[in-house]
Amino acid sequence: MKSLIIAVPNKGRLMQPARDLLDHAGLKRLKDDRVYLSNTTSAGVQILMVRATDIPVYVYHGIADLGITGRDIVAETGLEVYELADLPFGNCNLVVAVKRESAYKLPTELASGSKIATEFPNLTRQYFTDNGVQVEVITLRGAVEIAPILGLADAITDLSVTGKTLEKNGLRPIGRIMESTARLICNKVSYKTKYDMIKKIEEGLKGCS
Amino acid sequence: MWGYREVRTSTVDYFDIIRGGAGEGFADSIFKVQDGDGKLLSMRGEVTTQVARMLASKAKNEGRIFYIANCIRFLEAKTLSQREFWQAGAELVGGREVEADAEVIALTLGALETLGLKEASVDVGNVELFKVLSERFSIGATEPLRKALASKSVGDLSNVTTDQKALDALSFIMKKRGGPEVLRELSEIVEGLEKYTSYFDELYRLLEAHGCAGRISVDLTTLREMKYYNGTVFDVFVSGIGVPVGGGGRYDTMMKEFGLDNARATGFAVSIDLCVRALDAAGFDFDGARGATRILYKDGFSEKAIFFASELRRKGVTCMVDAYGGEMDGILVSGEITDIRTGRKISA
Repeated sequence: MKSLIIAVPNKGRLMQPARDLLDHAGLKRLKDDRVYLSNTTSAGVQILMVRATDIPVYVYHGIADLGITGRDIVAETGLEVYELADLPFGNCNLVVAVKRESAYKLPTELASGSKIATEFPNLTRQYFTDNGVQVEVITLRGAVEIAPILGLADAITDLSVTGKTLEKNGLRPIGRIMESTARLICNKVSYKTKYDMIKKIEEGLKGCS
Repeated sequence: MWGYREVRTSTVDYFDIIRGGAGEGFADSIFKVQDGDGKLLSMRGEVTTQVARMLASKAKNEGRIFYIANCIRFLEAKTLSQREFWQAGAELVGGREVEADAEVIALTLGALETLGLKEASVDVGNVELFKVLSERFSIGATEPLRKALASKSVGDLSNVTTDQKALDALSFIMKKRGGPEVLRELSEIVEGLEKYTSYFDELYRLLEAHGCAGRISVDLTTLREMKYYNGTVFDVFVSGIGVPVGGGGRYDTMMKEFGLDNARATGFAVSIDLCVRALDAAGFDFDGARGATRILYKDGFSEKAIFFASELRRKGVTCMVDAYGGEMDGILVSGEITDIRTGRKISA
């Protein structure tokens, strides 16, 4: 019998809703959280717990057949995978933000050569290139919101759900790069070679979401 | 067994010619060098364009050709892991469209089967149908549509069109994978697709005759990366590795680009490196030394050992000759020839 691996975030905002969804669909993990690869209550299906940002990589290379991660993360890696379902959680926007007191109203007004701090260098570079603004992208691993106040960057691009974190750090959004939600992604070869199994899980997850 | 003739193409070619055949996007991804007179040359990045031009320059609009060649491209978009890779492929120029398409698909599966990849399967799409649909629904931005189809992301369709019928048809294409009935069901949503319905029916019947219909699926999101395709295209999959091992399709318009107006051409290419990876994943043994008989000689007996090994090879036994260094297994050649493990004497 063919076996199948679903990659799920082991940290962050997508972790809990993703696990709840799998639980509801009858795919409960059998091992404790410290075991990265665990069998489930469904025979032949395993769950792999890894970082959300690594999930497209595992899926693209076919190590995991399916994965649950953010659309923003898939787009940032640029890896070609199938996005089989738009899941009803993880809603957020990738926005451009500047210091509250600055005069900018639109991202296109940013001066040529502006420094942009971000965890999404590829999407950010693409966005500003598409809009005809030359910027210098500074890649950070987190707490991007502090960069403008400390003078590291003129603006940031970051995920925002309610806008509160931006506000608390003295920032103001001036544009949206993309809207994101959690996605069920699939390796392109697995989709063909394990079609029936994947269709069943896809239907199960859609039915529960 | 299929009557194809091998060709060797040149490692360097005039950049303008390759760009003319393969298109701008591809031209960006190949290495360029300068000739003595300043003319721009390109290194071989794929072989189909070269074969097409070769045939066109000889005004040949019929032929069966295959090749095995190394190609180099820039490392980009994470789809390649090495700049240099080996490709094997075949081109079928001439013939009736659907028969030629079926032959090339069957040949692809046959070639992989010979390698030991018996589980390979093929997904078929059609680039012309994609164009017909985008024109029918007045979708000017074909690139976002191609991207949405390539990722089967139904949500992204709303950026491409708001026409409900178009949305129905396109999301059907994304979700449905199966036999030729896919086309019949699509025809219930979009009228005027009879040409494609009967084409796919016939393709299936022919593939049935080739003995491989069971390994073919219709997935109309199959569009291939190369821009020169204009009809049926296909991807080839084997389990064990995450990316298609190859694919191919029809490129009549490229033949036209090279001056052969009525030529028909179709072909396939597979990545040898990916085939090796797939065989590796399936547990294939690449170690040529395994199973070879070791002939070990003591000082002064190398000629005798070599003579003995030559005799064995003539009988079809694989063997290696080395100096004896205390091995526990093999055939020891000194005054006598003995099997080390059993101690049994062997007559030369």
